[in-house]
Amino acid sequence: MKRTCTLFLLVVLCLVFSGLSLSFAEPLDAFKGEKGTVKISGGTAHIPVMKETARLIMTANPDIRITIAGGGSGVGIKQVGEGLVDIGNTGRKPTDDEIKRYNLKLFMWAVDGVALIVNPKNKVRSLSKAQAADIFSGKIDNWKALGGEDRKINLYTRDEASGTREVFWEKALGKGNIAKSANVVVSNGAMKSAISQDPYAIGYVSVGHIDKTVVPVAFDGVEPTIATVKSGKYAVSRGLYSNTKGDPAPLTKKFLDLLFTGEGQKIVTANGFIAVK
Amino acid sequence: MRAVKETAVERALLLSTIVSGSITLIIFGFMLFMALPLLGGGKIFQIFVGSWSPGDGSYGILPMTVGTLAISFLSVTISFPMSIGCSSFIGVLGPKRSGRYLKRIVQMMTGIPTVIYGFVGIFLLVPIVRGLASGGSGMSVITAALMLSVLISPTMVLFFNDSFERVPASYLDAADGLGASNVQKLVYVVLPNAKKGIIIGLILAFGRALGDTLVALMIAGNSTQIPGSVFDSARALTAHIALVIAADYESLEFKSIFACGMVLYLFATAIVIGVRYFAFTDRETR
Amino acid sequence: MKRPIEKLVTGFSWLCTIMLLGAVFSITGFLFAKGYSSLDTRLIFGDTGILDALLLKKQVFNGLFPAIAGTLVLVVMSVAWAIPVGIATGIYLAEYAGDRVRGLFNLFFDILAGIPSIVIGLFGFAFSVFLHKNVSKAIQPCLLISSIALAFLVLPYLIRTTQVALDGLPEDTRLGALALGATKMQNIFYVLLPKSLSGIMSGVILAIGRCAEDTAVIMLTGVVATAGIPGSLLSSYEALPFYIYYISSQYTTPEELLTGYGASIILLAMCVVLFSAAFFIKKRLTYMAFYRA
Repeated sequence: MKRTCTLFLLVVLCLVFSGLSLSFAEPLDAFKGEKGTVKISGGTAHIPVMKETARLIMTANPDIRITIAGGGSGVGIKQVGEGLVDIGNTGRKPTDDEIKRYNLKLFMWAVDGVALIVNPKNKVRSLSKAQAADIFSGKIDNWKALGGEDRKINLYTRDEASGTREVFWEKALGKGNIAKSANVVVSNGAMKSAISQDPYAIGYVSVGHIDKTVVPVAFDGVEPTIATVKSGKYAVSRGLYSNTKGDPAPLTKKFLDLLFTGEGQKIVTANGFIAVK
Repeated sequence: MRAVKETAVERALLLSTIVSGSITLIIFGFMLFMALPLLGGGKIFQIFVGSWSPGDGSYGILPMTVGTLAISFLSVTISFPMSIGCSSFIGVLGPKRSGRYLKRIVQMMTGIPTVIYGFVGIFLLVPIVRGLASGGSGMSVITAALMLSVLISPTMVLFFNDSFERVPASYLDAADGLGASNVQKLVYVVLPNAKKGIIIGLILAFGRALGDTLVALMIAGNSTQIPGSVFDSARALTAHIALVIAADYESLEFKSIFACGMVLYLFATAIVIGVRYFAFTDRETR
Repeated sequence: MKRPIEKLVTGFSWLCTIMLLGAVFSITGFLFAKGYSSLDTRLIFGDTGILDALLLKKQVFNGLFPAIAGTLVLVVMSVAWAIPVGIATGIYLAEYAGDRVRGLFNLFFDILAGIPSIVIGLFGFAFSVFLHKNVSKAIQPCLLISSIALAFLVLPYLIRTTQVALDGLPEDTRLGALALGATKMQNIFYVLLPKSLSGIMSGVILAIGRCAEDTAVIMLTGVVATAGIPGSLLSSYEALPFYIYYISSQYTTPEELLTGYGASIILLAMCVVLFSAAFFIKKRLTYMAFYRA
């Protein structure tokens, strides 16, 4: 009885492990014997996931080269449309016009939010939609008016190619004005590191990029967390897209497929985004 | 046979000269060609004096032009006296041996990559400026100007030192004979005789500051306003090119960076002509 | 002149010297103090074995190896473009061109030398887009385009140093071989060029240093954050200066920032060594040139 029990346990364990290893090995098996290059550019929120996926593939198969560049969503669409890259990432849904013009195929592999962030030294933790709009238009320019120290607010925004900027501007600021005095940074990573160094700063960043060096600010009373974005309570959310011109080439297709497997989605969640599967 | 070979070599040399010479013209041609759609239709005025707000269809590069000029002027203002002081130390005032060592160090400084100045600027200088200025992110005109002044000083010091050394030794001997002190030699003999060299060095350094991208891009803040004070964030023309290169190729935004390229090109040409003008009058007076 | 004023002037010059030295030492000192701990083989090779990386068996992640390799390939290629054209042009201007032609071309090269590197990068970018649309879909911002743009950037240095080195030769050196019946070309290639080798060499080293440190040109013409070892001339690549720029704003962990400090130290050391080598080689080469002649 005892032996059958152990045997049974062993068999189960074996099955579980082989199952696990299968689920680990299976997606990468697709890349066996493949050769070639996948070029990726565009959205900067995507970069950590892209990098890790690329690393996974390139470790398993050194004959595959994957190059990753940033630039912002605008660049992603333009470059994939012109055939300069294989995958153009966007942190917003490409417009119908863009999809038609370049015959884009969309792959949304994660959901993300865009959150206001401040330095951990800053005491302000909550802002209303109106306050946010006033801060970014320059109407409110001192933290004192928001219950903070008597210091000027240092605004940080993104460049025009940014999808994060577009989503934030549309959904959080209601297409309101962004003051010209705002410092401009070129990526989600750059935004986070700028805010983490400047105690009087405010900016906005992909929720997936928030870590302990910066503090998210509740927007209209809702904390920007994975849970609130997932439930739809936090309104400033967006999908993370990878776009290809027409149907993807075989290797590109395999790369994108990997993002939708258990392994790929694990990378997505590990980087603070919300898996779509 | 030999003559044929000789001509062939001469032709090849001439060809490479023409190729390299045409690069200068091709670059300008490209800038002009790409910026043309923007300059046509009476919009030319608006581009060069308008403000930057792509949302409203205004692609003026005035704020960046002002930003570039402000940062360069300020950095030259800081580094000019410093460079004069240093080259006086190397050439006349300092102990001979330490002067030689200083020159060695300054020569090595010219080899420090620009990106290093930017990198150190972000993590060392920006927090300091933020602490000093009450308000502001620390990324500002003055931050970039300070870093740039360290960047352009070596060029200036070496250039000044060169023109100090070109002052005829007989002048200095004469001053020595009259019992002049080192300071008197510097003020009455070396500086007046090296005046043209100093002016040329100054212009060249200004050109270097105008053309620098990385320092301005990394620590000037890149806001699109016209800076009102030295503690304001600003964007240089060079940084603007680096930032907007990401835009849609067909958009007017993208075309506007070629207008920036043209302005920078014209600045560079003006500087070369300025230097040549001074160098030329120098030859005439001698 | 009054004594106190003299003291003031001297004091001022000391002060300036101290300020400049202070600035330099705080910049380098800051880098070393912060980045010292990152300097080991892991900085360059990451988790990959050194041999595996060098033999290109495995790709290196979280190490500087691809960036260093990219920079090396880039420098070699740009200098390979620039040296023949630059030296040939320098020879033509010094030995063949008439005064007016020489004046005109010198103006051109002075302007080319003064054009900000980002404008040359912009040109390279626009040119690659142009080629992509009109010539071949395979061309896009890449190693090839970057190296050509960088060659444009350093061309004036090479032309000018060659020209100055040739111009600076004494008249009797010029006439000796000619008197023995050598042709103009023989005189240039067997006498004048070997004699001016050290001058030309200093220009070459200057050009190498400039190619290695430049960031503005390459950031518009094909450098990317992640690419691995450069695979072909038409692919994107990584480079050390761009890596520093990239990390400075996009680091995600303190460890990643530390590699930025490490990369800065490596690049700084590379450039300073190049400059010191220039002085050293210049002496040596003068000696060698005399020996050969």
